[in-house]
Amino acid sequence: MPVISAATILSVSLAYFALIFTIAHYAEKRRAAGRSLLANPHIYCLSLAVYCTSWTFYGSVGLAATSGLEFLPIYLGPTLIAFGWWFLLRKMVRISKEQKITSLADFLSSRYDRSAILAAIVTLFAVFGITPYIALQLKAIATTLDLIYLPELSPEDLPLVNGLPFQPDTALVVALLLVLFGILFGARHLDSSERHEGLVVAVAFESLVKLVAFLAVGIFVTWGLFDGVADIFQRFYASLPQHADLFALGTERTSYAKWFTLIILSMAAVMFLPRQFHIMVTENPDESHIKKAMWQFPTYLFLINIFVIPIALAGLLVNQGDATGADYFLLTLPLNAGQPWLALLVFLGGLSAAAGMVMVSSVTLATMVLNHLVMPIILKLQLETRDMSGILIAIKRLGILGVVLLGYVYYIAIGDSYALVNIGMISFMAAAQFAPAMIGALYWRRANKHAAICSVSSGFLVWFYTLLIPAFVRSGWLDSDLLVAGPFGMALLKPLELFGLQGFDMYSHALFWSLLFNLGSYLAVSLLTGQSRSEKSRARKFVEVFSDQVGQKEQLTRISKAPTVLEFTELMSKFIGEKQAHSAISEFLADHEIDQRGSLSDQEIPQLKGFTEKTLAGYVGAAPARIIIENYLAARGSEMEDVFDIFGTVTISGAASREHLSVLYDVSQIVSSSDHFQKKLDRILDLLAQQFKFDLCVIRFIEQKSKTLLVKSLVGETLKHFGQSERNLNTETYIGQAFLTNTTTIVNDTDELEKPASEAIIREEGITCFAHTPITQDGDTIGVLSAFSRSGKGVFTTEFIALLENVAGQVGIAWRNEQQLSRLLEVREQERELQIAKDIQMALLPAPLPPMQQIDIAGLCVPAHQVGGDYYDFILRNDTCCDLIIADVSGHSIGSALIMAETRTFIHSSLLTLSEPADMLQALNAFFLKDLDRSDLFVTMFYLQYDMDSRRLIYGNAGHNMPLVWRRKTQSVEMLDAEGLIFGVKKSIIFEQKVTTLEPGDLLLLYTDGIIEAEDNNQNQFGYKRLANLIKEGQNATPAALIDQILSQVRLFTGYRHFIDDVTLVVMKVLE
Amino acid sequence: MSEHPENSIREAWILFMVLGMCMINFPFIHIFAGAQKLFGVPQLVLYFMIGWPASIVVIWLFVRALDRTAGTTGEPSDSSET
Repeated sequence: MPVISAATILSVSLAYFALIFTIAHYAEKRRAAGRSLLANPHIYCLSLAVYCTSWTFYGSVGLAATSGLEFLPIYLGPTLIAFGWWFLLRKMVRISKEQKITSLADFLSSRYDRSAILAAIVTLFAVFGITPYIALQLKAIATTLDLIYLPELSPEDLPLVNGLPFQPDTALVVALLLVLFGILFGARHLDSSERHEGLVVAVAFESLVKLVAFLAVGIFVTWGLFDGVADIFQRFYASLPQHADLFALGTERTSYAKWFTLIILSMAAVMFLPRQFHIMVTENPDESHIKKAMWQFPTYLFLINIFVIPIALAGLLVNQGDATGADYFLLTLPLNAGQPWLALLVFLGGLSAAAGMVMVSSVTLATMVLNHLVMPIILKLQLETRDMSGILIAIKRLGILGVVLLGYVYYIAIGDSYALVNIGMISFMAAAQFAPAMIGALYWRRANKHAAICSVSSGFLVWFYTLLIPAFVRSGWLDSDLLVAGPFGMALLKPLELFGLQGFDMYSHALFWSLLFNLGSYLAVSLLTGQSRSEKSRARKFVEVFSDQVGQKEQLTRISKAPTVLEFTELMSKFIGEKQAHSAISEFLADHEIDQRGSLSDQEIPQLKGFTEKTLAGYVGAAPARIIIENYLAARGSEMEDVFDIFGTVTISGAASREHLSVLYDVSQIVSSSDHFQKKLDRILDLLAQQFKFDLCVIRFIEQKSKTLLVKSLVGETLKHFGQSERNLNTETYIGQAFLTNTTTIVNDTDELEKPASEAIIREEGITCFAHTPITQDGDTIGVLSAFSRSGKGVFTTEFIALLENVAGQVGIAWRNEQQLSRLLEVREQERELQIAKDIQMALLPAPLPPMQQIDIAGLCVPAHQVGGDYYDFILRNDTCCDLIIADVSGHSIGSALIMAETRTFIHSSLLTLSEPADMLQALNAFFLKDLDRSDLFVTMFYLQYDMDSRRLIYGNAGHNMPLVWRRKTQSVEMLDAEGLIFGVKKSIIFEQKVTTLEPGDLLLLYTDGIIEAEDNNQNQFGYKRLANLIKEGQNATPAALIDQILSQVRLFTGYRHFIDDVTLVVMKVLE
Repeated sequence: MSEHPENSIREAWILFMVLGMCMINFPFIHIFAGAQKLFGVPQLVLYFMIGWPASIVVIWLFVRALDRTAGTTGEPSDSSET
């Protein structure tokens, strides 16, 4: 006999469904009226409890009765993670709002470069992972219906299905009802960003019902059947001693490893199960609701679990310790206690738990399937339909039906073979596989698309192998040998003991291996591979969603052959319906100005493109939206790709600044490198061309003589015309204008050239836009840096010009460095030559004479520069006769040195023919006359001849300083002088020749004007007097010592070590 | 205030998360895993049934602190989250 009549159950169930439909409908009406129920944060909090499915509702009690506290981690994990919601969940919500995210797959795909492949993998995985969970819910509804209804009931008692040709089973009927609900409130029409208020409110209501039902049974059992919690425990331990260790942990049944695994799994599940993501993130109406949810959701979890243990123990007590039907104690306890209405309430609670989950999951999965599996195919086929929105919504509805039916099929095929909790855990484990890619999406900028794909797919494979394969084996689909011996007898690959890892329960085992492969591949691939520019930009938008800069982005670009506002609207209409498209576009236009022709400015068209893509993304997901826009622009011939790439790098002020800096850094590295100047220029242009995809970059420098710009470096392909073009400077050309006005000249679209002089070459080269930036050096323009593109237009934005000017500045620095370097090299080369000259000149001076009995001679010449014009010599004509010469060629140049060398050569070659000083001077004057006249040089000379036997000194003077003679006998200084002019002034000069006699101890001092004209700080000259005193003081010294003494005194006098004029001294002492 | 209030809350959050993770796992819970009972209830069950609501109270206090800082700074500050 049925406890409750079939009619009652059916009518109550149907009434309950009707109530839910009404509530959902009411919520949608309220929303339409602008008084959304979701403004109430409690509704959001309650809707989150979709986490608690029938598994919680019935399964927790079952688990508590068999495994003690093992049900707890599933709720402790979410409580723990709720701590972080203000940071973690809020970030997810903010990103999803800004990027118009529609689902978990969309979130991941949107972050990882809008990858369609990733989205498809995630979707497939989600469908695989969640279908068993849907099966679980259907199973729960069917089982409880049977229980409450009494299994032995004949089909005739089902009035509704009477007379049908087949007998539908209850699970299918319920499934279809849920599909109907899903379609009505989840896919009535295409919604922007998947907001379904009716669905959310219905789920919130269901959460309330299941909580009330659970608490009602809890209170009834605890205080109705028993005398409070303590009483239950007391009786339990008294009458069921075999279960005394039920609540022990760290046992084989509930190891600490398993406990930890369950906590981790539940933390991941509550965040990353697709339905949780949907309710928490995409359906979130207000960020501030998260704050309430942080404590209200854990409170809900606590309340719904508070009676789990009492009910479980009560069930065991009532059934004498038999836990076979423990999963349904919740229902059987009130039924057996004669409380059918309470049981009916429980049934409704369970129905709510299951229905909420199935509705949300099916809508979520259907959205994912539509956007990420079906859409790419549709886009590939390029169906030429005017209005796609009808087709899309139909596919979505079919998707809901498909997902629920798939769950049903799974339930029929495998569901009965496995305990409820196992199916739930498999789904949780699937959700955990999204965790690394999701967390990385939020906090790790470097994480990339390939890594995410590897992460999710490797996790998926391990999950399938370690959990699903065993499930299939246990259902009898596969040979059990696979578990026992491993595939093909390979024990290392046993699905439950992979690579020989033993001693863990299957969940810990699966979690360990799947996360190891998942996280490992994620980290490794992220670190080993790079990100594309667009992916970097996506990563920034996610990781730095709270930073202020992210808001202002991608405004400055241009699309060639851009579609009009109307065309964009038509494109949107095609996918989301005319009405939605029009309301979206009017929202956009409200913030933008339209000109008289009804179109937007160049800068705003790209914004409109972005807006269109985002709007579409709100309906179909980010990856399909991108494909739609790209296909559309490509079909029009709008060269959006190139423009997009460049603008992806350089125009977004915030995002690009780093890339700007890196380019500038690279340029400065090149400038300061040790490369040759030409190579530096080439490398800079290479860098520009590569980084910004320029087709041609040129550096020209001014050639001062011809006043033309000569190509110094050129990167990129060009007709030979360009390379040769040495542009004349006038403002008729763009480059001339840039150079002459010292300002950057840009042409963002060569269809609008203003200077006909440049037109021919631009056309010939196929240039679409270009810029000339002057290269300056200390305010002078010295050249022009030019960049040309053949594919993009509108490349040169304000930010980019700033970058280009900066690069031109660096080129200017490189140029200046090059100039200084070449000057330095020149000087160094000269110095080297002078050093050679100096060495030669020094070699021309006489070597010290061998020691002689009659005289001691020393000489020294200190040139002021490398080479000088001073000359001295002493030549032994024979054993007794010595010629002494001192001469001074004006100047200190190479010319002076040459004359000096000439002088020496002449004297040495004439010694035999000219025996007297006057003759020698005469001959020299005649010899030099022409040479000196031409070179503006003149020579002074004092020529002496000393006969050692007679001690006679014969001498003649050609305008040189008068030598000094120290007479020891009289202790006085005497000056030698003779008439005679300097060389090279007059053709014939009579040189007077005089004679004097020296005595032993006398000193002869020859010198040049460098000595007596040396000046101190007050411009006082050293003079004869000081020199004469020095001789007097040093009369007893050797000639060499006397020379040293004089030099040091002169240095002391001037205060400098270095002489400004050549200094030469020759001293001869007459010995005893 | 020298330090941004939300930063200190964030630090507190991380500390509480770590603490929470420790308190519901081995070896900490092993303290209560014995057979002793309090008021006839196994102490591990009591530990969780008291500790759980206590942690919810901590979250509630945490949220209140968040509201306070939002009150002092005017807007819920987003900029710190970078």
